[in-house]
Parts: sequence; C-alpha cells; structure tokens
Amino acid sequence: MTTQTTELRMPPKPRNRWRTAAIVAALCTFTVLTCLPAIGGVELDFAGMVRNWANGADKMGELLRPDFSFLPRTITPMLETLAMAVAGAALAAAASIPLTLWAARPSNPNRVTRQVVRFIINVNRAVPDLVFAMVLVAMVGVGVLPGLITLFLFDVGVVVKLVSEAIEGADHHYIEAGQAAGGTQSQINKATLLPQSWTLYANQWLYSLELNVRISAILGIVGAGGIGRLLDERRGFYAYDDVSVIILEILVVVMIIELCSNLLRSRLR
Amino acid sequence: MTEAASTTQPDGVATPWSITLEDVSVTYPNGTRALRGVSAHIEAGEMVSIVGLSGSGKSTLIRTINGLVPATSGRVVVGGHEVTGLRGRALRQLRGHIGMIFQSFNLADRTSVLNNVLVGRFAHTPSYRTLLGLTSAADKELALRCLDSVGMLEKVWARAGALSGGQKQRVAIARALCQQPSVMLADEPVASLDPPTAHAVMGDLARINAERDLTVLINIHMMDLARQYSRRMIGLRDGEIVYDGPAASATDADFEQIYDRPIQSRDRMGSAL
Repeated sequence: MTTQTTELRMPPKPRNRWRTAAIVAALCTFTVLTCLPAIGGVELDFAGMVRNWANGADKMGELLRPDFSFLPRTITPMLETLAMAVAGAALAAAASIPLTLWAARPSNPNRVTRQVVRFIINVNRAVPDLVFAMVLVAMVGVGVLPGLITLFLFDVGVVVKLVSEAIEGADHHYIEAGQAAGGTQSQINKATLLPQSWTLYANQWLYSLELNVRISAILGIVGAGGIGRLLDERRGFYAYDDVSVIILEILVVVMIIELCSNLLRSRLR
Repeated sequence: MTEAASTTQPDGVATPWSITLEDVSVTYPNGTRALRGVSAHIEAGEMVSIVGLSGSGKSTLIRTINGLVPATSGRVVVGGHEVTGLRGRALRQLRGHIGMIFQSFNLADRTSVLNNVLVGRFAHTPSYRTLLGLTSAADKELALRCLDSVGMLEKVWARAGALSGGQKQRVAIARALCQQPSVMLADEPVASLDPPTAHAVMGDLARINAERDLTVLINIHMMDLARQYSRRMIGLRDGEIVYDGPAASATDADFEQIYDRPIQSRDRMGSAL
C-alpha cells in the first residue's frame, strides 16, 4: 500500500429522490382512496368510535378484573387444546417427510410429480384454517376430531412448503456422488438427503407446534373443541371476567410452548 | 449384471477395465461445446492424468465415462460396456463399477463417515434395504476395510462435516473403493487442498493404482503433480486433445501449448515440505 495524501475521489452516491417521492405519493394516494366509501373504499366511522367509547371502556374494565376462581374449569379444555396441537403436529410431521421429498427439486427430479404435489399443497394452503374447521365440524361433528384434522392439514401445508424451499436453497453436492455410485434417487434421499435435512424439518415441526397452540385456541369458536369453545361460551354469556382468565391462560401456555421450542431449536445443529 | 460376479475376485478386488472414447463430442443444452471429437484409449490398470485449464472440458470428459454427462455424439466404451445409450438400471449397475471422487469431496456433512462410505454400496444394494436402513454385515465389513485402507478407521463414527479437507477426501476415496470399482475417476481431487495434503491424496491414488491394479483417471491442473504421479498425460484445450503422451517427460513447452499461455506459478502445487 502506498501512503499518498491525495484526496480520495469517491464516485457520487446514486440518488433517487424523485423515485422515492413518487413511491411515497402513490402509497399515500392509494391508502386515502381505499378509505373513500364513495368509490367502494371502507367506511371509517370515527364518530361512532367516539360515541361508543364508553361501551368498550366497560368491557376493558371487566377484562382487567379476571375471576381466577374460574380457572379450574379451564384446565380440561386447555389440555384438550394441547393434545390437539401436539397430535396434529406429530401426524403432520410424519406425513410431511415423503411429501416434502416429492415437492423439492433435489429430491425429486421428475417435474410432473413435483408439480402435482406442489399444486395440492398450494390449494391446501389457500384455504383459511377456520374454513377447514367449519367444514370439518359439519362433516365429522363437533369436538376435537375436526380441530385435529384442521391442524394436521394446516401444518402439512406449512412444513412441506417451507422445508421443500429450504432444501432447494441448500447445496447438495453429495447427490452427484450418490449418482456416480449408481444409486437410485430414493437411495440417495434416504441415506444422504434426509440426514442432511433433519434440522430443516425439525425447525419447522417445532414452529408448527407453536402455531397449533395459538390456532387451536380459536378453532373452538366454530365448534372444533378445546379451550376455544369455552372462550366462545363465556363470551356468549358476557362473562368477561372468565374470558379474561382464558385469554391470560392462552397467553401463558403459548409463551411456555414457544420458550421450550426455542430451547430445542437452539440445540439443533 | 452377470459381469459383476465375474469381475470381482474372491479377495474383493475387482479386475481393472479399459476405457475407449471414439470421436466423443458433448454440447450442453445452452449451446456450449465442451468436447469436440475426442478419441483416446486407456488400457486397463493405467494411471492417466488429464491436464487442462478450467473450462477446457476435463470435467465433462471424465463425466462421460460414467454417464453423469451423456455424450452428444460418439462412443464411450468402459470395460466392454457401451455407456452411450445406457439408461436407468443398466446405467446404475455400470456406475457401480466406476468409483469417482470430486474436488469438493461431495460428502453428506451431517451424517456419519460410515454412512457416507456405505453410499459406495448403493448399486449393490436393493433400494428397499437402503430405505429400511438395513446394512448387510458384509457391506459394513467392506466399508470398514476401505476406511482402514485410507487410514480413517478411527473416524468411522465422526460426522463427515467435522473432518478436515484432507480427511474428507480420504473418506471420499474410501466411499469409491467400497464400490469395489474397476475404474477410478478423480475430478480435480486436490484442488481444494494444501500442498502436503494434496501430495498425500495423490499418493493414495497412486498406491490404489499400484496395489489394486485399478485404472485411474485424474483431472488435474497442476503440472508438477501430473508429472510426478502419472505415467501418461492427456492435454485438453477447448474440448480437444492437444497432447497425449508420457507425463514425466512432458516439457514446459508442452504445458504452455495445453494452457495456451505462458506457465504461471499457480500451475504448480509445490513440494510436500
């Protein structure tokens, strides 16, 4: 390196002031337009919010006074919710192994079967979980079963999509070695690609378990069992002190599950 | 394939195969002409280095021999089997007799050394046994012997990713030996290694060639390694053979002709010490 003291001539920093201004202006215009009922936008009734403020404040007041004597009655439904979440995640984990291998390019070079599996998964993901739950409640009846199936379908969609994309984003030099040794794709997948991808799977399995606890708490509202049903029932009776207990309980359980899941995930190599 | 039985001697060492390339050309789907009318014959048991710059077609040439890259035109014959035109099961069976090692080792880093070596048994194992994770005692014994022959037996339970570069290449050699191959292909096997390790790995390949009388083909860029470890050298430039003769007596001028430029310091690996 030479130690010259000449001034550094930096190239001018590219500036796109006009482009930035145009983007901001476009976003603002769009936001305003969507709030104009005259052209089909949503109607924001600020006056109504002010008028009914007292209503909301009363409810908030009741929610702030949880009645903990209600807690024992929530234990069984909460366990039901947890059972649903764990069983749904476990079944989905098992189903996701072959489906993911079919959906990812490195593990399935056949374009046709890959696209078929991806299409099914995309359709599955396009359906909101509450819709699944409502339809399944109508099909198999009120209870834990429709909730379990809903969580299973939801988890399979999440895990297969995210893990197959992660597999496609990773390097797989060992596949060429497996081919050079005369291996079939299924031999290569089982002996090398799966061990190589366990952490990707495990990460998403734990994540789907976290999601399940959160989702299953609401699924009960449409009749799919668990703590959600109790929540809906107490809300129907305007028993906001009980509702408050349930919400707090869900909060605590979700946090505990997340904590455990994070602990496990940090141990994955 | 019945040849499998006849080429494997009782002691588990296969008989070497010869390799014949007849007017082989490869054009990739994007239009790149990687090989242009390459013809060569390699005797069973020979150790040949293929020298050339990156992009000269070395990797393509070596991959036409086990069909990882299909020849667009021409004939590739390995041990009496025509590779061109082989597909599916027949191609996999043939590949089972051709071991290969790579510049980036191509191990599954998150699984054990043993599992990686057992990859070499793929072509000799029914798919259902691999899927169920059933390893025969004979295969495991063979894998351990192959690891031992490259001095890596004590690492058998280690994760492949935890090994150093030189150790990884040795495991990769064990994986190829575990196929009980008749031909060994090596694509830039020492390009990712430091000089002492590179010499050790080249020494391993020379020893395999001598002890097992195996046909060995090595893609290599370093001229000193080619001269030292192989008897015959094939020079490739722009997909064509521009040199085919003894390696030890190849002059610097020969190398300049292969490289199509003056020799640079990075064309030599340097000594082991």
